[in-house]
Amino acid sequence: MKKALALVLALVMVFVFAACNNTPSEESSKTTEHKVGGQVVVGSVTDLDDNMMDGWTNGAQNASIRNLIFGYSPITYTKEGVFKVDNQVAESVEGVDNEDGTKTFTVKLQKDLKWNDGTAITAKDYVFSVLLHTAPAYYALEAQDTMTYANCFTGYQDYFDGKTKTFSGVRLIDDYTFSVQIVAEELPFHFDIAYAAINPYPMAVIAPDCDITDDGNGATISDNFTTELLEKTINDTATGYRYQPKVTCGPYEFVSYDKTTKQAVLQINDQFKGTHDGVKPSIEKIVLKSVTDATQMDELKNGTVDLIAGVSGGTAINAGRDLCDENLAQYASYLRAGYGQITFACDFGPTQFTAVRQAIAYCLDRTEFAKQYSGGFAQVVNGEYGLSSMEYKERKDVIDSELNPYNKDLDKAKEVLIADGWTLNEKGGEFVEGTDKVRYKNVNGELMALEINWANTPNNPVSDLLNTMLPGEMEKVGMKLNPTTVEFGVLLNNMYRQGIDKPTYHMFNLATGFVPIPSYWYEMSTDEKYFGSYNQNYIKDEEIEKIALEMKKIPSDDKEAWLDKWVEYQKRYNELLPNIPLYSDQYHDFFSNKIKGYEPDGLWGWESAILYSWIEE
Amino acid sequence: MAKYVLKRLLYLVFVFFIVSIIMFFIYKSVPGDPARMMIDSSKQSVDPVRYEQMYQAAREQLGLDKPLPVQYVSWITNMLKGDLGFSTQYRQPVSQIVGVPMGNTIMLNLVSMILVFLITIPLGIITAVKKNSPLDNTVQVGTVVGYSLPSFVIALLFIFLFANLMPIFPISGMNAPGMTGDGFDVFIDRMYHMALPCIVMTFASLGGITRYVRAAMIDVLRQDYIRTARAKGLREKVVIYSHAFRNALIPIVTVLTGWLVSVFGGSVVIETIFLWNGIGKILYDALMQRDFMVVLAMQMFYVIITLAGNLLMDLAYMLVDPRVKLGN
Repeated sequence: MKKALALVLALVMVFVFAACNNTPSEESSKTTEHKVGGQVVVGSVTDLDDNMMDGWTNGAQNASIRNLIFGYSPITYTKEGVFKVDNQVAESVEGVDNEDGTKTFTVKLQKDLKWNDGTAITAKDYVFSVLLHTAPAYYALEAQDTMTYANCFTGYQDYFDGKTKTFSGVRLIDDYTFSVQIVAEELPFHFDIAYAAINPYPMAVIAPDCDITDDGNGATISDNFTTELLEKTINDTATGYRYQPKVTCGPYEFVSYDKTTKQAVLQINDQFKGTHDGVKPSIEKIVLKSVTDATQMDELKNGTVDLIAGVSGGTAINAGRDLCDENLAQYASYLRAGYGQITFACDFGPTQFTAVRQAIAYCLDRTEFAKQYSGGFAQVVNGEYGLSSMEYKERKDVIDSELNPYNKDLDKAKEVLIADGWTLNEKGGEFVEGTDKVRYKNVNGELMALEINWANTPNNPVSDLLNTMLPGEMEKVGMKLNPTTVEFGVLLNNMYRQGIDKPTYHMFNLATGFVPIPSYWYEMSTDEKYFGSYNQNYIKDEEIEKIALEMKKIPSDDKEAWLDKWVEYQKRYNELLPNIPLYSDQYHDFFSNKIKGYEPDGLWGWESAILYSWIEE
Repeated sequence: MAKYVLKRLLYLVFVFFIVSIIMFFIYKSVPGDPARMMIDSSKQSVDPVRYEQMYQAAREQLGLDKPLPVQYVSWITNMLKGDLGFSTQYRQPVSQIVGVPMGNTIMLNLVSMILVFLITIPLGIITAVKKNSPLDNTVQVGTVVGYSLPSFVIALLFIFLFANLMPIFPISGMNAPGMTGDGFDVFIDRMYHMALPCIVMTFASLGGITRYVRAAMIDVLRQDYIRTARAKGLREKVVIYSHAFRNALIPIVTVLTGWLVSVFGGSVVIETIFLWNGIGKILYDALMQRDFMVVLAMQMFYVIITLAGNLLMDLAYMLVDPRVKLGN
């Protein structure tokens, strides 16, 4: 055990919390007063598959369904970007620091929580959720690790390895109380309350006849909890929970998934108590179906689709906006929680030098790039943040004024290169502009050419545009860009360095997404075990690592300290430039005129916003 | 003939194994690591030690930890037993994944194929008989245009015309969203949604086969025995359909057999544009995701279908032309 995981949590949080824990705006909090009824058909360019339980699929549509049908986490993530206790679910969540450095979160549940079939939800269902998602029997079904933060609970490894049926760090205290204990190595942690964010799973359905007991040494699951049992209750193609999660507790319940047409139907869960502020959904039925980029707006116009979320790119957005101009639809736009970026390998070749990375940034007109790529529906950021993030909103002035925007400036690019020693030609003499093509530098007694090997993927408009805008400008300052187009899988192999004896590429272009809990302390860790996974830049900078580790340890209630340190981190990141952010899309959700009160945001997806919406035919 | 069929079946088995070896090693040499693709989403969510454990477990599960010849023997043995392997993309047995899309593809292709032959064979015969007539010239121009246009252009054009401008058909999908009703309602709804992709597929195929039938018929109509038949005073219908068409059938049988085989092959373009959940898109996605068990299983299925189709074609030659003697 040991090791935590932020992105993990983050991902889980996004999926887990979004559905049933929300903070509405003034306007949307009125949705409870609206009449329940109507149907919304949600179209997505991502296909659905038949896996409705976490562990077997990563598709965005499937994740949306899970957000809608699972819920009742004691901890909620609000639209404002804050983790807090959901008092609809829990009477209290109490964190206690133990003498041995561990920390215990004790959750006292409300007594009126029910599954959609009317049966009571108890602490056993929450404890079962942890015991299920960390059990060897579960992984024997080829499930993915979706509760990775559980490896920060004491006793995880022995339980996970199958050495014991008792999970010492998870306690079943009484019918409505349970606790989890966090290992000392992961503490203090700014987001530690998120460890208590556990969704219940119906033990009576997934593990009938099994029992959980606690003799004071941890929660123990009975011996009849086996792979064979889960094969039947989870994996059975006709009735398994993986395909037919009929007993759930989110705002919506699963009605059906048609394998032939790849459509899913959800309907309101009458037993749902409401979001943490008491809001219950008003739209009775949600149908999820696939659409194509080419015809999605026609589907919206014809009424075969009511909502298309996360539309990007000028062509699609303009087509949607044309519909809105004709009053045939509406739209909501928000900034994407993420961006496309250039990723550098910072441990070998020319890109190991900060000056080279900065010079490349000075060679690219990012504003023009974002404009051309997105048709004008994207913005540029100067650090590892999104424009919709809480931190940026709180510290906008200082970020906007103090971070280097790296505006295109070839003289500046030359200046930083010369200052860094890229002043030689291939023979070791002085680099002469107009005569010599590529700059060289004496590195440990050997001449290193300023040639950047760039791996990109085929049929990728970002690669195409970079290929148009970057090589010529780099050549003007004495740099050479060597592009190679490879399949995405090959690109990842090279970036993660799996099956690669010697790294070749100094530069990649990819997209990244933000999640509620960042992983700065792993991304910037100088510990080589994080290289290639969290630290994809292979960067070793003790200063930024120190800042990140200090951030991690800031108490969760000290927002000002967190924001100050966050600014410090962004400044250092902006100077080091392990990645160059290229464009952050302005996403558009297009929806029919019958939907009212729909207000999505970057980390507040359609499945959250729809809970506060209603239908007016 | 039995001896011939037996010989061909033995040949089929031999070719199957040779192709299986070639295909297996080709896919194994494709860059990209299926085990890594399988667990890639966990890359940033678990600690490195755990990730490495997951990676090794995935390699073991997919049999990638063994030498290639051992992997091949294991794969082909399992396949012959009916175990098509495990899909890394869907985390399910391959047999569980391909059934429904294959059914959808067959349904769409079969209806389209019947329509194509119902239209093209009479049209080809008429244009051959009335060669250089205004009708023939019109059909020639029409078929050249249809033949030249890529199917995605035809699909988008037809969607614009018949789903947007004149909203007769739905734009895409296989049923009305959230549709409820009894079996008959569901069937009617399915047929309604199938109409436009079917029309597009039919239209896109008209040109080629019409011209093929026309050319075969023109060749036959020039033969001496046709002149003789006419000289004997046989009615023109008898000359065309009994004497000419039957002799023109051999090249048409070749095309027909090819089409029968293609009934099982999906069209990525049509299935993607019309969101028809068919096998073409499954195959394409599997290739992109390095889900080789799905790809290999389907490829081997197509190998069997193609070889069986060739055998059927030879038998059909014999039926339509008594001069053809198999095994000689």
